[in-house]
Amino acid sequence: MSVRLMVGTGKGGFWVTSDDRRSWKVTGPFFKGWKVTAGLRLADGRFMAAVASDIYGPAIHVSVDGEEWEQLPSGPAYAGGGDRRLREIWTLRENRGVIYAGVQDAGLFTSSDGGASWAPVTALNEHASREAWMPGAGGLCCHALLFDRNNRERMWCGISAVGVFRTDDGGATWTPKNHGVPAALEDKRHKGIGTCVHGLAQDPDDPDRIFRQDHLGMFRSSDGAENWERNEEGLEVAFGFAIVIDRASGNLFAVPLEADQYRVPLGGALQIYRSTDAGDSWHSASAGLPAADAYGTVLRGAMAVDNLEPGGVYFGTTSGTLHATADLGENWTNIPAILPRILHVSAWVG
Amino acid sequence: MGAVAVTLPSLLDPATGGVREMAASGETLREVFADLIEREPRLKPHLFNEAGELRRHVLCFHNGTNTRWLDGWDGPVADGDTVLFMQAVSGG
Repeated sequence: MSVRLMVGTGKGGFWVTSDDRRSWKVTGPFFKGWKVTAGLRLADGRFMAAVASDIYGPAIHVSVDGEEWEQLPSGPAYAGGGDRRLREIWTLRENRGVIYAGVQDAGLFTSSDGGASWAPVTALNEHASREAWMPGAGGLCCHALLFDRNNRERMWCGISAVGVFRTDDGGATWTPKNHGVPAALEDKRHKGIGTCVHGLAQDPDDPDRIFRQDHLGMFRSSDGAENWERNEEGLEVAFGFAIVIDRASGNLFAVPLEADQYRVPLGGALQIYRSTDAGDSWHSASAGLPAADAYGTVLRGAMAVDNLEPGGVYFGTTSGTLHATADLGENWTNIPAILPRILHVSAWVG
Repeated sequence: MGAVAVTLPSLLDPATGGVREMAASGETLREVFADLIEREPRLKPHLFNEAGELRRHVLCFHNGTNTRWLDGWDGPVADGDTVLFMQAVSGG
């Protein structure tokens, strides 16, 4: 079964493909010189990539074959006249025929026509607490989206330095859901925000079980984010950004980093931590990864799973190295390439 | 109505399909910009911000003059004028 990775970097996108998950072929760059910040494979098979430039701003491109790309005539955009700017698209997701774009400055946009037109999710973008949303080191961005496969009206979004919001009415209203997570920056007027979610992963069998890599630790909710509890047993450090879950095994993978002003692997050892018991405990699963002198960070969007059995996990670093396991982290290999700073990794089968 | 030759930077190839020389027309620079965007709407978010201003680090030269030095975009343009877009280079 062939695996295709979309690797988004600070200077373009790369395809990384393999028929056996052992030997890999790197092609690219596409969008040379552009940041590739998010990727998506649509239900109709097309690829979608979000790009951005510090000079020329963001855009979304689509491709049928992954080679020829076409920029969408119009992408998500804030209305003119205000101070809000759409700087980057941090995540692209599709659910029940609707495409979602989580963006910086923090907000959410949707398209119901395959990307031809986009509409703001006004109830979130203009949330009453917005006046108190303060950007973190990574900016003010909506970077994580989760859906409830049993309830089309419910979804969650994660906004850095603000927290998790949930809607139970198809996006008409949104409520902060951060009880149990300490605030990184508390606001006197608006309660329930000021937490700093870095990454979210969701149990594929139980949408209400959500795992949260937060600025202030590792957390889990078993009730749809109503309440969060710490689950850090075994973690040497609990700071990090990326967290993913393998669908078949339920194994969780995270990348602990030395907090928080350093944001590098602890002691220069690039380590992946795995939980095989739904977050009750964590252990290092890092055989084959650099054990010393490795100081590249793994950003929140730079780790992905292929959901094959056994599961493949892939991540890239800010040093441009790319790593893969085809056995749920028992053994890691280095994909031989030195890429620009890696911002995003997506994995698709076939 | 002036017919203006517009030159675009290579980094905008993904928006234009690789076209770096375009024609645009108008009585004023503002009309030329509007015509350019009408011809290639994909350029709009890359050259102008939500307020309709040039993006912060985009430079535009009308006949070699930085448009930020002009008193707005409502001055006349003429046949054969040139408009050059490029990115501001600052830092190391």
